Amino acid sequence: MFDNYVFTKDSCKNVEADGKIIGFEIQTLITYYRGIPLSMVYSVEVGVDSIPVPRDMIRISLDRKEWFTLSEAETVSTYKWEYGEPLYIRILAEGGLRKGEHDVRLSISVWPAYYPMPAGGQRTRRVAIE
Amino acid sequence: MSQIKRAVSLYSLQDEYATKRLSLEDIFKKTVEFDIEGIELISDQMIRGAPYPSEETVRMWRNLVEKYNRRLVCNDIFINSTLYRNRKLTIKEQIEMLKAEIINAHNLGFSLIRLVSNTDERLMEPALATAEKYNVAMALEIHAGMSFHSAGTGKFLLEMIRLNSPYIGIVVDMGIFCERHPRVARNYFRQFGLNPELADYIDAIFAGGSDPLRYFGRLNGEQAPYPEDFRALIKNPVDREYAIFSEGYENTPFEELEQYMPYLKHIHGKCYEMTEEYEEYSIPYKEAIQYLDSKGYDGYIATEYEGNRFVLLDECVDGLENVRRHQEMLKKYIGR
Repeated sequence: MFDNYVFTKDSCKNVEADGKIIGFEIQTLITYYRGIPLSMVYSVEVGVDSIPVPRDMIRISLDRKEWFTLSEAETVSTYKWEYGEPLYIRILAEGGLRKGEHDVRLSISVWPAYYPMPAGGQRTRRVAIE
Repeated sequence: MSQIKRAVSLYSLQDEYATKRLSLEDIFKKTVEFDIEGIELISDQMIRGAPYPSEETVRMWRNLVEKYNRRLVCNDIFINSTLYRNRKLTIKEQIEMLKAEIINAHNLGFSLIRLVSNTDERLMEPALATAEKYNVAMALEIHAGMSFHSAGTGKFLLEMIRLNSPYIGIVVDMGIFCERHPRVARNYFRQFGLNPELADYIDAIFAGGSDPLRYFGRLNGEQAPYPEDFRALIKNPVDREYAIFSEGYENTPFEELEQYMPYLKHIHGKCYEMTEEYEEYSIPYKEAIQYLDSKGYDGYIATEYEGNRFVLLDECVDGLENVRRHQEMLKKYIGR
């Protein structure tokens, strides 16, 4: 029901630091209708060409300055992920995505207080890396 | 002559806002264009940093309200009791959060907050002094699926009656008066493989004057087993999901509202789909407004468009057009 907000179009790119590609990044809007503390994000799953990315390679950030592992994010209760603003998701993997086309899948959910289950969405996009 | 007033919940325009097709100021301009006096807000949706926004953000909001001369009707708030993964917040922690929401609502200019369904009734008495001090009433949403008969709502209603304060009441969501299951929801689930026979079965329950919660004997929140012939139609996870969601539309007789009329603070004018004829496909607004008029309701009905949930992938949500049509319909039945 929030699938339209998952995986912002054209947001998947390799990330460079100190002249090296350290991984790749995706942006997404929240799969809910209001902003909530980051600790209420329930799951973030990424797959590339049908292969799931290990959870400990994933980092998330609201400002691209402070990054959290998914375990750390469970206690980040004072930073709010605002409605209509991106969550930045990085997958730390030296070399990033290889040149060519990839099917990148993002699945994300949050757990609001009065829901019987997490509210989520997913989307796979064909991504071209030059 | 009806005493009912018209408002819009900005929830209706969430997609326009999230995708940056409309800014908050654009939304205020639209309320003027559509001649909508009242505004309902979800502060967590459009006020950055809520419930602790910066002074600058609060000033920006109040300037918009003043510039476009709108009435502030209700702020919808949530208690994030699932803030941490490993435990639910204690009642004490939740009370402090509620107090912060009351103060924020006051600072933004509201004198009513809507508490989401399943808000713990034990928060009411300890928060009452703060509500009185800041002149902000608290009203639990009576929403389809968690309506008058559900266990959580029932406990709240008892506490509300016990405390008997003008600062505690209810907000009724018109989704409790569905005569038909929304067809936009059916269309949405069809793309994922919903069994049409299952959807027909649910449509027939409504056509018979009932709704799934009542028909399945689940009104009090207990998970009574489905009838055998219904269970046989559940063939995949989408069918199961559709069956669960179908319990989120109720066909409540208007008369069930009567004993709670003294506590009724506000109404959510739910709409899933405004038709070409400017009627809501599922909810009989004409009859509902006649009933409310007969009981002397003089508060607001705020358009709350929720068909945005059922827009197909990459199709554009048209909250604005649904709001416009819903307001035209309200004008017709209210008479102004």
